[in-house]
Amino acid sequence: MNTADDPTQNHQTATAEQALVLDDVRKVYRMGDGHEVVALDRARLSVGSDEIVALVGPSGSGKTTLCSIAGGILSATSGRVIVGGRDITDYSERQLTAFRQDMVGFVFQSVNLVPFLTARENLLVVDEMGKRTGAAARRRADQLLDELGLGDRARNLPSQLSGGQRQRVAIGRALMNEPELVLFDEPTSALDTQLGEQVMEIIRTEMKSRQTAAIVVTHDERITQYCDRTVHITDGVLEA
Amino acid sequence: MRFALRELRRRPGRFATATVILTLIAILLMFLGSLLDGLIRSSTGAIRAQDGDVLVYSDASRASLARSLIDPGVRAEIESVPGVVDTGGVGLVQLGARVPGAGERDLAAVALFGVEIPPAGVPEVPPPGQVYADEVLRSDGIAIGTELLLGPARSPVEVIGFVTDTSFIGQGALWSDAATWREVLEQNRPGARVGDEVFQALLVRGDTDADGLAASIDTATGSTESLSITDAANALPGVEEQQGTFNQIIGVTLVIAVVVIGLFFALITVERTALYGVLKALGAHTSTLFAGLVAQAAVVTLIAAVIAAGALIALDAAIPPGGLPLDVTPERIIVSTVLLLIAAIAGCAFSLRRILKIDPASAIGSGS
Amino acid sequence: MFLALREMHRAKVRFGLLIVAIALLVFLILFQQSLQNGLLTSFVGGIRNQSAPVLVYSTDGQRFIQGSIITPDLEAEVRASGAVDEVSRIGQGTFTVAAGAETFDTSIVGYESLGAPERLSAGRAPNAPGEAIGADADIDQGFAIGDVVTVIPGGATLTIVGVATDVQLNAGPTLFVDYATYLEVVASVNPDAQTALPSVLGVSPAPGFSAADTTAALNALSPDLDALIRAEAADLAPGVDQIRQSFQIIFALYAIVVPCVTGLFFLIITFQKAAALTLLRALGAPARRLVSSLLFQAVLIVGGGYALGTALYYPVSQQRLGGIALRFETASVLGWAIALMVLGVGSSLIAARRVLRIDPVDATTGVGQ
Repeated sequence: MNTADDPTQNHQTATAEQALVLDDVRKVYRMGDGHEVVALDRARLSVGSDEIVALVGPSGSGKTTLCSIAGGILSATSGRVIVGGRDITDYSERQLTAFRQDMVGFVFQSVNLVPFLTARENLLVVDEMGKRTGAAARRRADQLLDELGLGDRARNLPSQLSGGQRQRVAIGRALMNEPELVLFDEPTSALDTQLGEQVMEIIRTEMKSRQTAAIVVTHDERITQYCDRTVHITDGVLEA
Repeated sequence: MRFALRELRRRPGRFATATVILTLIAILLMFLGSLLDGLIRSSTGAIRAQDGDVLVYSDASRASLARSLIDPGVRAEIESVPGVVDTGGVGLVQLGARVPGAGERDLAAVALFGVEIPPAGVPEVPPPGQVYADEVLRSDGIAIGTELLLGPARSPVEVIGFVTDTSFIGQGALWSDAATWREVLEQNRPGARVGDEVFQALLVRGDTDADGLAASIDTATGSTESLSITDAANALPGVEEQQGTFNQIIGVTLVIAVVVIGLFFALITVERTALYGVLKALGAHTSTLFAGLVAQAAVVTLIAAVIAAGALIALDAAIPPGGLPLDVTPERIIVSTVLLLIAAIAGCAFSLRRILKIDPASAIGSGS
Repeated sequence: MFLALREMHRAKVRFGLLIVAIALLVFLILFQQSLQNGLLTSFVGGIRNQSAPVLVYSTDGQRFIQGSIITPDLEAEVRASGAVDEVSRIGQGTFTVAAGAETFDTSIVGYESLGAPERLSAGRAPNAPGEAIGADADIDQGFAIGDVVTVIPGGATLTIVGVATDVQLNAGPTLFVDYATYLEVVASVNPDAQTALPSVLGVSPAPGFSAADTTAALNALSPDLDALIRAEAADLAPGVDQIRQSFQIIFALYAIVVPCVTGLFFLIITFQKAAALTLLRALGAPARRLVSSLLFQAVLIVGGGYALGTALYYPVSQQRLGGIALRFETASVLGWAIALMVLGVGSSLIAARRVLRIDPVDATTGVGQ
């Protein structure tokens, strides 16, 4: 990234240690009939570079919106969003796409692997859609699968994997681009309690060993014990 | 793109319906095209084979040999037009020919041409009573040395050689000298008898461009309609109608291909909405996803085109000579394939908007 | 049915587009059907609707009137046969004719007694030299009753005194004149020519003979005679079969495309509303109800498309295309309606099968994952 183009480079030193800084972020949706719904109101949040934050709230509370803004999928209506030292507040659609390729990882609620690709290929999708580093990406995918205990499952299709294994593949996919921040959207909701705990264990281990920050969106309080800190959100308002 | 192709390999079943329909359409497209080429070829061969620049008809003939007459006076006028180097009379009579050994109601349809300048492929104007025959007549059992009996008068002519691609409106041509033609015409079509030295049309060789020469001949005589060889071939009855009709059918077929491909890939896109949302969230551009779709459509189309080309070549080999006038050429197959590919991409374009509209945010919080 | 109509009401554009697509296909099918029949009629209507029950060609003519020539000895053999009652010389040629401001390739048929159009739609039969019967389809081109046309070169003139329906030959203007006038026309065009011979003979069977008996008897006389019943002569004319075959290919193509389009459409919307359908199933809607709702939509769409397509086709079917008169083909409209309804509704069964496979349990676990 050419920093000369970046209007926020003055911010960089101040926020270099932070994986994510949300400063007074508001998100307002205009409904069809003209009235406005505030999904996120004056949110302030910073996440340290190897911190795991649990974001807990009932459905409709704004946690998905927050997650989407942090991940560069949605733009905020006002406020500043800084991820890994980059101010993405005024990024265009195209810049956001490139940003997602480089800086963040996602693990979605419903696992969402590409059904016709093997575990290894599902990791390589990230490279194919983005940088296309080829051999380097293949080495990284093999290494990640090994670390996630899926070395012998690399050539299996998602349909041949268990629920927990699929979630591990999804974690591997999120880590492919060496992100500054990984966003987990209800990572355990489709799993039973025991499997859910195992997956959270893995998440914690992987994040800590890589010194990567994470936000785990959940409505399950039990998950919070695997996180460093819990932030509650209700009706678009954050409470530490 | 690579993953799109991998999907084709891993799940060929999903694309089977589209491939089968497209193969049918490709066969139809290539079949219609080859049939058109064959029909035009077998209609116009004898005119295209004329070894000159301009064909001159009388002006009321509407470019029909049977209704045209050029008498020696007009011919002399034409020969004095600047730019005219050489002229040769042309006459035609279409008859049934009895072939020795064939059933007595089994006639070969022939077009006997009397010429003064031999057409391409005929070394010289044959002596009276002898003819060069078009290759297509071999399927009627005609060989070198065969004596054909022409028309109800059973006028005899002997085949002394063969020539290719000189059919006239679907009939095999026989090439004779002018006297033989005049005699056969008089014996079999007394109502169409022409005087000595009168021809139906005049082939002109010139030293300027054909269209200009044709115009100056018509101006000089005031009673002729002169056409370049290409125009004369296109002016044959049915040629333009056939081209028009077939090209319309080919056009409709292509539109149908666009609709089928469009619907099929719209279906695939709808099924993949969630997946595309995820890939977009992971940083995939719409262009990357659309390129994958186009790549799949192109591969499916190419497979269909290859199967269709194979089927058509097999069909061509299976059809006995003299049957359907199918002219299967690499050009036609390539042109059909390219048209089909364009139709495939156009069909995919219907899905572009749908892919554009997919919101990466839909990947997050789905179900909540 | 309530559901089906509600859905269509909410998604007017989508269902409207499908109806328009089907309407266009229906229009194309019916139009081509009219075109085929019009084309065939314009090629051989003059054979089909002339008055001779049997036509005798020379074998040399290969069933093409203009290519056939009946020599005097062949004519004598036919006249001597006990199987024939009346024998009429018929001559035909293509001439350049000036009518109005233009010239046309015109078929001129000369007949003695048999061979004229069976029925006139207006005017009268010729009763003097130089009078002619024209075809309805050519009226606008300068071949109406009272018009005088000129055969060129030579300048012989013909006055049109009557017209008949569906009596064209070779898809162009057609005139019927008495045999003597025909001979004059031939002579005027080519003064070098000897007296023209008849092209074919029009024959009526002798009492006690059917048309088939007569053709069999005449064909047995000489291998140079080719006697055909009127309808056969029309169907076996060169080109008729090729026209039929090419149109059959086109119709088969359309018959494939209509179910493809409707089938794929219903599959797409079934996929799109999978969640809603699953929910309805979970709420207790029987699968059969959902399927019948889908089939009801299919019937409405094919029916609506068909009605719209027929409405588009009607004005076009009243037109004339070049020398070809089109007409509204009621039998085709009904036949295709049944065929397309079966094909269209049948293809939507694929989508119905998918509806049947929906498991209501999915509504509780998230759909489609």
